[in-house]
Order: sequence, then structure tokens, then C-alpha cells
Amino acid sequence: MSVEGGELERTLGFLEAMTLGGGTMIGAGIFILPGIAARNAGPASSISYAIAGFVALLAALSLSELATGMPIAGGSYHYVNRALGSLFGSIVGWGMWSGLMFASAFYMVGFGQYIVEPVPFLDGRGYVILLGLAGLALLTGVNYYGTEESSSLQNVMIGSETAVILVFVVVGVFFIQPGNLDPFAPAGAEGVVATTGIVFISFLGFEIIATVAGEIKNPSRIIPLSMILSVVLVTILYVLVMLVSTGVLPYGRLADSPIPVADVARSYLGPAGAVAIVLAAIVAAISSSNSSILAASRVIYAMGRDGVVTEWLNKSHPRFFTPHRAIVTTSAFTAALVLVGLRVDTIVSLLAEAASFSFLVAYSLVHVSIVVFRRADPGEYDPSFSLPTPLYPAVPILGVVLSVVVVTQMAPVIVLVGSGIVALGVLWYAAYARTRVVGEGLLREAISPGPADVYRVVVPVANPETQRGLLRLAAASAHANDHLGEPELLAVNVVHVEHDSSLQNVEADRVDHQRDLLAAATEFADEMDVTLRTRALTARDTGEAILDVLDEGDADEVLLGWGGETSEGRPVTSATVADVVANAPCDLALVSLRDEVGAAVGVLDGGPDDVAVARRTAEFAAVEDTTPTLVVVSPDGRDDADEPGREADLVAEVAAAAGRSPEEYSVEVLDGDDTRAALETVLGRFDTVCVGYPNESAGLHSAVERAVSTVVATGGHSVAVVRSSPDDSTE
Amino acid sequence: MAPIDELRILVPVDVSDPDPTRLGVLDLLDPLEVVLLGYFPVPDQAEPALIRSEYEDEAESRLRDVAGGRSDLTEVLVFTHDRETTIDRVADQYDCDAVLSVREIDDIGRILVPLRGDVNIERIVSVTARLLQASDATVTLFHSVAEDADESYGEFLLRGATDRLVEFGIDEARVDWEFSESGDPQAEIVQLGGEYDIVVLGESEPSLGDRIIGRVLSHVVDELESPALIVRDTEPGDEGET
Repeated sequence: MSVEGGELERTLGFLEAMTLGGGTMIGAGIFILPGIAARNAGPASSISYAIAGFVALLAALSLSELATGMPIAGGSYHYVNRALGSLFGSIVGWGMWSGLMFASAFYMVGFGQYIVEPVPFLDGRGYVILLGLAGLALLTGVNYYGTEESSSLQNVMIGSETAVILVFVVVGVFFIQPGNLDPFAPAGAEGVVATTGIVFISFLGFEIIATVAGEIKNPSRIIPLSMILSVVLVTILYVLVMLVSTGVLPYGRLADSPIPVADVARSYLGPAGAVAIVLAAIVAAISSSNSSILAASRVIYAMGRDGVVTEWLNKSHPRFFTPHRAIVTTSAFTAALVLVGLRVDTIVSLLAEAASFSFLVAYSLVHVSIVVFRRADPGEYDPSFSLPTPLYPAVPILGVVLSVVVVTQMAPVIVLVGSGIVALGVLWYAAYARTRVVGEGLLREAISPGPADVYRVVVPVANPETQRGLLRLAAASAHANDHLGEPELLAVNVVHVEHDSSLQNVEADRVDHQRDLLAAATEFADEMDVTLRTRALTARDTGEAILDVLDEGDADEVLLGWGGETSEGRPVTSATVADVVANAPCDLALVSLRDEVGAAVGVLDGGPDDVAVARRTAEFAAVEDTTPTLVVVSPDGRDDADEPGREADLVAEVAAAAGRSPEEYSVEVLDGDDTRAALETVLGRFDTVCVGYPNESAGLHSAVERAVSTVVATGGHSVAVVRSSPDDSTE
Repeated sequence: MAPIDELRILVPVDVSDPDPTRLGVLDLLDPLEVVLLGYFPVPDQAEPALIRSEYEDEAESRLRDVAGGRSDLTEVLVFTHDRETTIDRVADQYDCDAVLSVREIDDIGRILVPLRGDVNIERIVSVTARLLQASDATVTLFHSVAEDADESYGEFLLRGATDRLVEFGIDEARVDWEFSESGDPQAEIVQLGGEYDIVVLGESEPSLGDRIIGRVLSHVVDELESPALIVRDTEPGDEGET
């Protein structure tokens, strides 16, 4: 099997990403809101659109970097959750979900307005709401049953609505009457900024590209390109539409219309123009709302993946394979919001502002997240699109400031509702998510760069579940060296990828592995009171990836799992492990673990690995708080009876070099003439045996090797084969 | 001169089906290299990783069932929104020469090979030769003559193809020809195909129109009652590597 559990195909190309982003944005926002915008800010509302577009562009820039660093489902939620932890993750997750509901409700009310207004015998808000609900029911049904490869239909829909708007703008420019544009800003700068908050909803959509990032081909190229391009193009389009609208009709007349753009079109394109705009608006509302439902299911999926919401929501339909519960829940809330329109006059602008509020809060936190990622610099964060120096930190700083400015200008009721949703996120975190999520944010690492002296034990594990013993031993080893520096356990897991991964979502695998790793290692890190860091990587060459981690991470020692097989006294390992053994820049131990670590004994032979052996023996003994024991053999395997003090001298020397006092160790003396038999007897009394790495020139260790082989063969012992770091052994 | 040395065939199977197609055909293809692609179609509404987390075990065991213990198969399991994209990508990655559309099939006795004058003809004939070498089948070369075209062109085409098969060591008695002048080659192929065990088709380069309305070829393949072996157009390996 190629990849464990199956590969995840990336299927969305550039065109699909653009129609997804652009298609969601070009929706009710531009067909409905020009009336409200004109009422609030007059012709200057085109500037509101430009400002909103700029705020969106800032978010798109930050999101591009984060999305290429972590191309996986969830968008803003995922990045904030990773960077700032699950409290802020909950806030943004709930914010995005509710924001998408507000937006969806807004699109559907717009859908109703654009059908009700032009049709003579339909009148009144009741019909608008009814049609909105009918449209929503239709969309819910379609999404419940599921669609496949529907992108071609989407392309045709988005293409035609864009064409209609282009004709509207290109022809309309010639009908602008300069008199209509004067006064340009009747409500002043304040009105312009306040309107920005309302029209910002017209830009929701580029984010959907990040939300489905796990499904986009060549994410490193297509995500930034399609996000930034769609925001820029759509901004230009909106500004032109607004200029044409306010230039052709006096803004006072626009303000009274629920279908302003169609009215403008009627004035210079005749009834045909109005019909075209009406149809485009209907199509646009449907496609925008549809994308919002798709995006919502990705956000809920991502939240479920992290344990922030219950997995129940994400269970897929047994026949249609759609996340039907998430879809129905989203639609039910959306329908409730549409229904509010029966009672509330200004439902359209309220829904627009509420959605804008949620996403502005999310984007502010996204801007903070990019700073956190840059500062904490976790090893796996390597975005292919990285903001260049003047843009970083300018983009995130400006992004936060502008988002806050726009939010503060919103209607008090919106600020209240929005803050309520934020509070809900906090409550949800406290009541539900806090105890269920795995993983902490990077905030702490970003704020404090960590102590200068760290004793770092690296442990690469292939399967965190079966290698719990190794993780525990590694945590204990780090703890036993707390006198040398802040003890830290760095658990590493490399996901092997066979091929170029730009067409598959390997990031999803990586995140899964990282979470498993974290879940398995946290217990031991807490027990031993050591700092835990985890790194899951994807790489074609596992050995090389591990060596990179050792180099970058400035490791003090690395523990590798080993099956315990030997051949001619040398440990048998996979090619990957052999590669790491041959090139590790630090102390290294191949560990074959049995049930318990227990009492540990180290074999000193006067060779280059003695110091490392003494260190490991002390560490292993510390796991169950026993006294480490050393046994001395002479280099050629014979017991040197001529030098009675030799053992004590060697132990003292080695212990000093290992940074420990000789008194910490107890020393065993070999008994009898046959070193091998004597060694076997001694080793047999212990649970864990530590020996130096067999040297290239055979014979040097032969007695030891044979004794160890015998011990290994009994299967009752844990064995560690230890090699000193190259720096030590050259001395 | 030999036909393609190692004919490698991609066999896609839908593993969302609780009872996937039994592939007796894999035994028939035994002398060939087979890449077995289990794909799980994921609707647009679901993130593929979500479906994988729920169905990976089932999908793996279904794929193993289909493989039926054959050890020489390469198995690939993919969760995808788009079957075609996945087939293309996997075929590139594993250098497959042809893709088999799977129907129930117990025997390769009669092979139908419709030929147009396309550039791909060399590869189609090579693949056919390899298939003939691996079985005792007979082959019918088929050409649909366009209404205003010269009939001798079709004869020239099939003669050339036959000569090439003979060069590959195929007994000429195993090859026969059929012409049609109905003017609707697609309907003709679908109709005729029902009488054969397998149809070998060339892949056509997708045009812009194809991208919007779907490939013509896939209609033919969907309508065919027999399995179709679609010979890939691109030289394998020139895109998949980086």
C-alpha cells in the first residue's frame, strides 16, 4: 500500500480556486449593499469598498503565508488554533462558523429580494423571507445528497455573472453624470468608515480558498496566487460598480432600492439589462451561499479534528458520504437568522455587519498568528510564500489596526452580538474544549525564546503507540540531566512520502501524526517534569530528515528504537536508522526495550564510547531510581589482574568526563578467568545493559560483543548500544 | 523490435462500493504489470481527510479483497473528489501505459481496437500486441470512415497496423478488419463493443470544451458494456517526476 490509510487527492486547480474565491465574493454583497452603502456614505461609498478590499488584501497576504506553511482544511481557525492555542482557536472557530451562517442568511435574503422586487404580484417582506428559506432548503438538500465534480457548472455560473457585471461597468461608465457624484462624501469620513464594516462582507470568500487548502493542487503556488488575485480583481470590480451606480443614479434614489444595481442597469440598458442583473444576482446569491455551506463543513471538520467540537457533528452520511449533520446544523441556524428578517427591517445590513464582525476578529487573530509563527519558528513551519521584509511586519500590524478601527465603527448592536459570539467561544473552551483538546499553542515559545541551557533528548518514533516505552525512557534521560540544562524531550515523527506531494494532501497526515505524538508523549513529559516539543515532518528520506532535526535542534543525545537483533555482534537496523547512526552529530543510543528498565549496568572497555555509556547508564538507572552500575573489562577482553586499581581509576576518569561523581556508581568486578562467562553472569543480574558501539575493527570488543549477544538472545534484557558524539570520540 | 517491454496497466476500482467488482480480469492480465487503484469518491461537501478517517480500514480491506492475495500488484488507495484527476495522477506517477475501465470480465477472447488516424496509434498498436502476446485472443481492427473521406485511407491505416502486429510476432490469422460508414463512430464503437471482451481505445487530449462538459471518450467508456483499456497519450513519466 502506497500510504498508510490512503492518499488524499488534491483536486482543485487554479481555475477552481478562483471561481471558489471570486464566486463566493461576487454575491449579494455587490448586488444588494450598494443601496445601503449609498445611503450611509453617498458616492464616497466606493472608497468604503476600496478600504474593505485593502483590509481583505492584508488578510489575504497573511493567510497566504500561513496557508502555504500549513496547507490543510480549516483556514483561519487552524492557524490561530496552532499559534495561539485552543482558547483563541475556539473563538475563531465559532466566529467563522457563525460568520458563515450570517453570510449565508444574508445571501439568501438578498436572493429573496432580487426575486420579489421585479415580479409584480409578489410583494412584501414575507415573500422575501419565504423565498430565501426556499432557496436555502434547496441548497441544503443538494448539499445533503452531495455533489461530485460540480466545478464545471460552477465555472459557467461564475463566468456568466462576472460577464454581466463587466458589461454593466463598461457600458455604465459612459452614463455617469458628474453632477451625481457631488457632494462626494455627504456623511464625511466617519460615514465612509462605518460603511466599510457593512460592505466588508462582500469580500468574504477569498478565505474559502484557505479553508479548503487541503484540497488545492500545488498549494504553494495556487493558494497565494488565487487569494491575492481574487481580492485585487474583486476590489477593482466593486469600486467600479459603486462609482457607476452612484454616478448614474443620484445616491438618494439608490438608497431606497432593495435591488439597486438592477435599477441602475434599467436606466441605461433598459429592461433587458435589469433582467440580466436580476438573474446574475440570483445566481450569485446561490453560489455564494453554497460555498459558505461547503466552507462551514470544512471549519467544523477542522474543529472536530482538534477536539474543539464533538465528532458527532462530523459523522458522514452512510450512503452519500456528506457531513450531513454539519450541513443540516449550519442550515438550521441560517434559516433561523433569515426568519429574524420577518421582524427586523434592517436585517440585510445587520447580517452583513455581523458576518463582517466575526471575520474581522478572525483576521486580526490571523495577523497575530503570523507573528507568533515567525517568532516561535517551529521547525515544520516552512511556508513557500513568505512575506518579504517591508511587508512583514507591516502587513500584520496594519491588518490588526485597520480591523480594530472598522470594528469600532460598527453599530452597537453588532458589537454586542459579535462580542457575545466571542464570549460563547470562550465559554465553550472553558466548558468543553479545554479538557478534550490535544496540544498547546506556540504563544509561550514566541514570547520567551527559552532558556539558554537546554539538555535536549531527541527521540524519533515511527509509531507513538507502540513506542511509548522509548518516549518514557527519553523523558527520563532528559530529566536525569537537569543539572546540565533545562531538560527537554523532542519527539520526532517522519511521515515518509514517496513522491512529489504537491498533488496530495500530506499535511493532513503530518498533523495527524503530530497529534498522536503529542498525545503519547505528554504523559511522560509531565511525569518527568521535562519540556515537551514534538515535530512531525514529511520527507522522502526519513534518515536525512532525522539528521536535519538533530543538527537544527542542537541535540545532546538521540535515542533510537531497535528490534534487538544482532549479527556478528553488531546491531541490525533498517537502512534509515543505520544512516542516522553513521552520521548523528550527538550522543546516540540504539535501544531495545523489554518490559522494564529496572537496574542498569554499563560496560566500560576503555574505548571511545565509555563516557556515553556511563551517562546512559546513569540516566537509565534514574528511571526507577536504582544505583547505576559499571563493569570494567580490558580492551582485549582479558581481565587485567596485574593492575588491581585499574577499574576504580577508569570509573573515576569516565565519571568525571560524564559530569558525574564516581560515588554515584557502584562498580562490579569480573570474577574468574573467562571474561565472557563472567560478564554474562554479571549482566544477567541486571535488567538493562549499556554497551559501547562495536568498532569497525572486529576483535576489539569481541568478548563483550559475544556476551552481549548472548544476553540479547535470552530476550529478558533491555539493551542500549551507545555511541559517543563525534566531537567526544575524536579527543 | 518489441512492443512496449513492460506493459503496465492501471486498474481503478471504486472502493466506496461495499461489494466491489470481482476482478477475474486480474488473472487474465497476470503476465502484465498491474497497478490497482482503489479510489474512494468523496463528495464536494466533505473534506477527503474526513472520509478517510471514517473509512480507511474498510477501504483497505476491500482493496485487499479485490487484489485477492496477488503479491505482484502495486496497490494504491486514494480518497478523491475527482476520479479522473486521480486516475491521471496515479497513472503518471506509476508510469502506466494504459488504464482499464472495469466491468465484469472472465475471458479475453476477442479484442476490439478502433483506430483513427491519431498520433497515438503507435502506442495503441504496441499495447494491443502486448495483450495478444499475453493471451490467445483474436483482434478486430476497426475504422469508421468519415462520409466524405477516401475509403482507401482506412485500409491503409489498418494494413499498417496489421503489419506492425505481425512484426511484433502476432500471427496474421488472429487479426481481422472491420469498416463502418455510418458516420457516427462513437455509437458504432459502443454497439460493436458489446460483442467483444475488451475494447482498446486511445486517449484523446482534452480540449477546453472537454474540460467544461467532460471528455467525449468518457461517454464512450461509460456506455460500453465491455471493459475498455484506454491507452494513455502522454509519454509516461514526463510529468510525474520532479
